This record gives sequence, structure tokens and C-alpha cells, in this order.
Amino acid sequence: MSAGARARRTLRGDKVLFASALAALLLVASVAIGPPILSAALGHTSDEPFPYATDPIFRKPVDPLTKVYDTTREYSDESGYQRVAPPKGTQKTWFFAGADSSLGRDELLRLLEGGRTSLEVAVGGTLLAMVIGLLIGMVGGFLGGLVDAAFARFTEFVMAFPLMLLVIAIGTQTNNHLDAITLGFLPPGVFALIVLIGGFTWFYPARVIRTQVAELRNREFVEAAVMIGAKDSRILRTHVLPHVLPTALVYLTLLVPVNVLLEAGITFLGVGIHLPTPSWGNLLSTTWGTVLSPTAFDARRATVWLTLLPSLMIFITVFTFNQLGEGLREAFDTEGRG
Amino acid sequence: MARFVTFRVITAVCLLTLLSLITFVVYATIPVEPAGFLVDLQHAKPSQIAAAHDALGLNHSVWYRYGDYLRRLAHGDFGTAWSSLGIGYDGQIHGAAVGHMVYEAAGVTGSIILGGAVLLVVIAVPLALVSARAPRSVLDRTVVAISLVGISTHPLVIGVVLRLMFGERWRWLPPTGYCNLTGPPALPDFRLANGAIPQGCGGLKEWTTHLILPWLTFALFFVALYMRMLRARLLETLHTHYVRTARAKGAGEFRVLGRHALPNVVAPMSIMLAMDAGTAIGISIYIESVYFLPGVGHLLLNALNGERGYDLPLILGVMFISATAIIALNALADVIARVIDPRITSISRSGAGGVRSGLA
Repeated sequence: MSAGARARRTLRGDKVLFASALAALLLVASVAIGPPILSAALGHTSDEPFPYATDPIFRKPVDPLTKVYDTTREYSDESGYQRVAPPKGTQKTWFFAGADSSLGRDELLRLLEGGRTSLEVAVGGTLLAMVIGLLIGMVGGFLGGLVDAAFARFTEFVMAFPLMLLVIAIGTQTNNHLDAITLGFLPPGVFALIVLIGGFTWFYPARVIRTQVAELRNREFVEAAVMIGAKDSRILRTHVLPHVLPTALVYLTLLVPVNVLLEAGITFLGVGIHLPTPSWGNLLSTTWGTVLSPTAFDARRATVWLTLLPSLMIFITVFTFNQLGEGLREAFDTEGRG
Repeated sequence: MARFVTFRVITAVCLLTLLSLITFVVYATIPVEPAGFLVDLQHAKPSQIAAAHDALGLNHSVWYRYGDYLRRLAHGDFGTAWSSLGIGYDGQIHGAAVGHMVYEAAGVTGSIILGGAVLLVVIAVPLALVSARAPRSVLDRTVVAISLVGISTHPLVIGVVLRLMFGERWRWLPPTGYCNLTGPPALPDFRLANGAIPQGCGGLKEWTTHLILPWLTFALFFVALYMRMLRARLLETLHTHYVRTARAKGAGEFRVLGRHALPNVVAPMSIMLAMDAGTAIGISIYIESVYFLPGVGHLLLNALNGERGYDLPLILGVMFISATAIIALNALADVIARVIDPRITSISRSGAGGVRSGLA
């Protein structure tokens, strides 16, 4: 039975895998096409500030599930200091997840758009890591020798080293040069982060694939191909690659959650995505008491929702993709030996 | 063994040199004016800027400067942090030694990691025990579910939520800051407006209360992985013949678990703890930035985002010293593994754990 047929059969049999695949699809769809649909339905966009979504004195954003006046203008009485309700007939609009800050933007839309940024970074970084990892792992494992040994030591060192130290030390600099690159469709800063994350996470797939290819190297079908005079590039492409693709797919899925976490971490430390582009990392870190906004928590000015909601989104995403990766690993029956 | 040690030392030296070279070149070639650490760039004359360059040793090529840095490094001199430079009353340039700054910060990071590791063991071992004793029970399922949730939670999220709830909202514990274990720092030449001597915090009690939340964050981040590993090991052990024999002989549950089952997990756990040292230092960056603790990660962030630009000697010092510490700890893990179980030739990380440690 081919790997594909086996995977389809497992997908039908394994409820967890099916559910997590569905959840992952739903998640990607909601951050990809959710914001335009939702803003059309709600009648406001993620960038519009709504003064009536904040407290008149301390500018505390409203809690989730509140209806606020649908106006970007704030009305005051004759003194000019006291806020009054807008003129009769002003419509109200739903803020399902409350407002995002003292500006009073819709947190739900910001969360979804932030999710788009975060997933773009995570998926882009993962793809880059996988391309590098596949290339180096396959070539290294197939050829062996001194280069391979040097690579193995280097990988071991990098895996033991606190990646975060390197990422922020190198990233602070490289991001200055790459921040402006958008490739036409990415928000600013995303490309820089993709390069940074991809450049620092390819070791994991490379290592696993290297081990696998080194084992495949001694199998009969590879020896047979060598014997009939096939070129190395042809052997790698047609004989070895199909065997490592399931592993690559599993690691592709398992690296996405790691990179979602990395994006949040890097942005939290002030190196990643910068405002006004929303991402889960900076929605989490531009609320209170962090490097990006070093004020203490003040119950009159801040709500706990602005911390809890991005946290929850990050958790759901990571959990879903983790389950999906583990399920795929079981379905393909690949030994994820690191 | 001698050959193994020599090989490890040579690779370590090569890797450290490579690391310092990359960091040095990346930072030394940025067009930022480091003279700003010594003179006011807006008003300084060109001659003054040149003098500042001379004092900072910037008049040579990058390669010469790197060689000079390595030479001083060989003598144990990490240089002076640029951000601490100032001209004293005697007209000389003074600054804090990078080695000393990193040493002080390492105390804070060490407190977080060691305390957190102790708390981790205290939480993970009993939970794994109750979970493995009755597999598929409600308790076991709860523990497994918690570890699944834990594996998907960002350490940052744990930290921010703990600080928000226990520190800021309910005020049970101090949300931020660090206090010295040895006692309040002396502040002799500083007075408040009313003439009182400001009291720094310090001592065992305040050190502990300020570190409880960081420790908890640290332990909760790792507990899921450890619990999973311990549970699997214990389940394996509880099915062995010698445990059945001990039960058959009428040994109490406490004795069976404590004498026969637990010693089997001590070895893998200590190896895992030593190997996670690198991840632990990475995680402590998050913890330090959430709880504003003046540790190594905090030092690095400050060196990178200083008002007057990056602080090259400090960045290099932090990178070099932490890399050395991690290489040493990993070598220690290797040696522990070999001593405990001579069959092991080389330890390696498992798949998912390996991927996840990429987080830090």
C-alpha cells in the first residue's frame, strides 16, 4: 500500500488526526479570509479607532462582547471636557473581543490579522528551513565524509546553544536591512523574520533527514541504482527523495508551531514585527509591563483580556499543529529520530 | 577517554572562535558611530571624535581588532562595556569590566535556573509517579492532558499570565524585580530627598518571594516534557519482573516505588537536566524580560538596544561566556551519561523534544 493510501486510511480511522487537520484548516482559513469578511459584516476595519470603545477618563478598552457607538468622532459637552453620547441615530457595532488599546480598535479583527502575520512568518520560516534542511541533509547523508562530519558537530553545537541569544544578537542587525522587503504581499518585517527563523531552524529537519538518508544509502535499491550507473543527482531525486518526503512533511507540520512560538518570543523581545503591523507576538507584548510598553499593569487602564486573548490564540494554534504533526508522524509511521 | 576529552576540547575551541568571529564581524561592520559612547556627536569636533575612536581602539581594520580581541581574551580580559564608559575626575576613561558585569548577571540567571530546576523535579516526579501507578485512570488522564497543554504553551505566555494574575491583579507576590540573596546592597553615597538612606531589598526571604513566580514559570515550561519522559520510564519499570517480585514478597507500595522504581529514572533525568542547560538559558531570557530580572539575557537585550547604539564588547562577552558555559555543561552531561551507563556512546535529543528546544 502506498504512503498516500495508508495516510488516507489513517485519516479516516484516526479521529484526533482528522479533527486536528480540520482545525488547522479552519484556523488558516479564518486568518486568511476572515478579516475582510468580518469587517464587511461588522462594518468597520481593524485600523479604525473608535473613541466610544474606551473609557472616557482612563482610556481603558472595553471588555469582550460589547456594543459600542459606530463613530470615529468623539462628542463632548459645551465645556469640552465631558464626553457625551453621540447624536441620536448613531448605530452601534459589535466588538466581540473588546477593544485593543486606548485607541479603541477592534481586537477581534486585530487578532485575526495578527494571526495572518504570525502564520505567514511561521509557515514561511518553516518552508525555508525545510528547503535548506532537505538539501543539506540529503547531500550530507548521501555523500558522508569530512563535510558531513563537520556539519554534524556544528549542528550538535547549535542545537545545544540557546538559539534565542543568537537570534536576537544577529536579528537586531539583519532586520534593519531586510525590514523593508515585502515581495509585494507581505507586511513589512515579515520577510526579515522568515529569513531569520528559517536560517536558525533548519538544523532539526536536516539532522533527521541526514540520518535517514545515511541509512537509505546502504539499501539494495540505491546500490542497484549506483551499479547501473545512475548519477548522484538522479539517485537523490528519484530514489531517495520519495523516502524522506513523509519525514519532511511531519517536520514541516511540527516546525510551524515552534515558529509561531518563536515569532511571539522574538517580537516580545523587541526584535521581530513592529507596530503598526499586528502579530500575535506584538498584540501580546504591547499591552502592559513588557519591553515594548514598560508600564505596570493598572486595572483602571488595562484589561486582562488583551493578555489572555493573544495567549489563547497562540495556544490553540500551537496545540492544533502539534497534534496534527504527531498524528501525521503516526500515520506515516516515520521514526522521528533526532 | 583522553582522546574523547581532547576531541571535545578542540571542537569547543573551534566553535567558540567561529561564534565570536561571526558576532564580531556582523557588529563591527555596521555603520554606527560608537564614538557616541564617549563624546556628544552633535557638538564634538572631528579631533575629539578621532580621540574617542583612538580610546575605543577603532582605528584599525576589523581583522586587526578581532585579533586584538582574541589576544586579550586569551588573557581573560573581556574588555570594558562601551555603555558604561565615562570620563572620571582624573581625566581618564573609566568603565565597568564586561567579565564582572556578566558574572553578576550570571548569579541572577543561575538563581532562576537552579531554583526552577529544583521546583521542576519537585513537581514532575510525584505527578509522574501517581500517573504511572494507575495508567488510564482519571488522574493519569488528567496528568497526560496537562502535559499536552503544557507542551503547547509559550513560556512567555506562562510568565505573562502568572505575573498578570498573581503579581499585578491579586498582588500575592511581587510581580517584578530582583533582590540579592546575600543582603541589601550598600548605597553609601546616595540619599533620598528627606535625607534617609534608601533601603535596597535583599536577604533570603525577599530573594525567595521575588523569585517564586520566575521559578514557577521555568518549571511549568519544562514540566510537560519531563513528566512525559518520566511517566514512560516508570511505566516500563513497573512492568519488570523485579518490581513484580518485590510486590509478591509483600513490599509496601512506598518501598516498591521508592526503592525499585525511582532509581531507574534518576539517570535519564539527570542527563536530561544537564542537556537542557542551553534551553534553560534561552528560556531565562523570556523570564528575565517578563519579570525585569537583571540576568544575562537582560544584559544582552540592553547591550543591543542601548540608546547610543550597540555595545560590542558586552555582546561578545555575553555570547562567549554563555556559549562556554553551555559547552561545558553538555560535556558534563556526556560524562554523567557515560558514568551512569557505560553502554551509552553519545547522547542525542529525541525528535519532538529536539524541535521544541529550538524555541530557546
